[in-house]
Amino acid sequence: MIANLRVIRTTFELDIKQQAVDLFMIFGVVIQPLLIAIMAIYMLLERDASRGIYVVVGSGMTGLWTSLLFRGTFNINAERFMGTLEGIVASPTSLASVVLGKTLASVSLSLLSMIFSYGLASVVFRLPLSIAQPAVFVASLLVTILAFISFGLLISPLMAVNLSLTGWVNALEYPMYILGGFLFPILLLPGWSNPFSYLLAPYWAARVLHAASSGTATPAEILLSWSMMLLLGALYIAASYRLFRIVLRRARVEATLSLM
Amino acid sequence: MKRLRNSLHIFLGGAVLSYKALFRWFRLEPYIATKIIAPLNQILFFTLLGTFATGPDTASFYAIGNAIQLTAMSGIYGVTMSIGGERNEGTLIYLFGSPANRLLTFLGRALVHVLDGMLGVVMGLIWAGLLLGVDYSRADLLALALTVFITTVSTCGLGLLMGCMSLLTVNVMFINNTIYFLLLVFSGANVPLANFPLWVQNAAHLLPLTRGIQAARLVIAGSRLAEVAPLLVGELLIGAAYVLIGYALFSWFEMTAKRRGTLEAF
Repeated sequence: MIANLRVIRTTFELDIKQQAVDLFMIFGVVIQPLLIAIMAIYMLLERDASRGIYVVVGSGMTGLWTSLLFRGTFNINAERFMGTLEGIVASPTSLASVVLGKTLASVSLSLLSMIFSYGLASVVFRLPLSIAQPAVFVASLLVTILAFISFGLLISPLMAVNLSLTGWVNALEYPMYILGGFLFPILLLPGWSNPFSYLLAPYWAARVLHAASSGTATPAEILLSWSMMLLLGALYIAASYRLFRIVLRRARVEATLSLM
Repeated sequence: MKRLRNSLHIFLGGAVLSYKALFRWFRLEPYIATKIIAPLNQILFFTLLGTFATGPDTASFYAIGNAIQLTAMSGIYGVTMSIGGERNEGTLIYLFGSPANRLLTFLGRALVHVLDGMLGVVMGLIWAGLLLGVDYSRADLLALALTVFITTVSTCGLGLLMGCMSLLTVNVMFINNTIYFLLLVFSGANVPLANFPLWVQNAAHLLPLTRGIQAARLVIAGSRLAEVAPLLVGELLIGAAYVLIGYALFSWFEMTAKRRGTLEAF
């Protein structure tokens, strides 16, 4: 247990250092959410100037998802491409711990998206920003982090097991922005698509964070969103457990993990 | 005559080979994901965001803007990677060692991306019509085709300039991503230019796409070619300016790299 925690901490520290100087991540976590925020500010605030905090939360969510998607996709695959995967799976260290450390790093760093968007809206555009229910917002953000980490734990082995899925990574960015209701409510979407949203923890995260920031979060709403995030998070972890077993089987038994 | 034939061979052969090299690692599935599904997602996201902001009647504004902006996918990423790929794959040294006409070699890198970019825009316009109700019944299709062609050429001009940047830095994908999103924000694809401060509007008119998107919206709304001609001429001139700056940079890079022996050093 202690050894695993040490692995998680070490991987976290190393990955934070790597990501902090990775221009692709800097773009995904800082530049892209800021440019989306600028667009959303000009688009959404034209009619209603009180939507500033909505833009901050929504564009921050886009940064969280983009970072999780791209880092999650390459958490294991990058080790494969660099030839270090065999070393990791052959060591007594759990592969899941390594991926957990990396996911924790990307989720932590991507929280910067929201902070930068807040700074942009507040300092550059001088929008009046206030979080109506700060305690609920902070608590919801913590549950969101847990849900995103569990989603990341699902994405990494999934992309390692199905390499062809990595080709779809560019096409998976916007669907979550849409289905997650990050910058507009899913009521705009056709009814048949709503069940897909309900299966995504980021949707519940966006829903409760928007509600808490605008002051419309009722106890029932908060409870529902948190419960769904925790339930879906548990399901993602259960699925990722099976996928990690497949990854390890391919590495240790079939010796096919490095085959492209 | 023989010289002309050789030049044509360099231009066309180089164009096709650089495109093949760029997508050699691609299988059909990821190609569809990148060139068909991802653009559709972009159009849907920004159109839904736009209609949420300003009402359902404005869907065409966002759908057309984003469909035309898709040309930047080929024009910026494709062209840049075609030029930058020469260095990454170690073929730049042979290219600069050959007596081939530099201008044709340079322009040839963009040719297939112009066609690919136009195909991407057509696909985007079809999605916009099928899924978002954009009405083409009043559009002069020939004028629209010319608008798409000129806008794509002009965007590839910026791509050629960015491609030369890829010979100077390893961080070209960062620059490309930023340029692509800057075009998305400031070309008028999603935000009417009038909403921006005046200095931003002036800067936006130095970008490719800005006039092209305006022209496409007008043509689809029923304007005739003569009415949008000034916009198209402006778009073409902007593209030509980027090509000239890019070619000057390309020539300077070759000369400097040969003199200093830094052809493959970043």
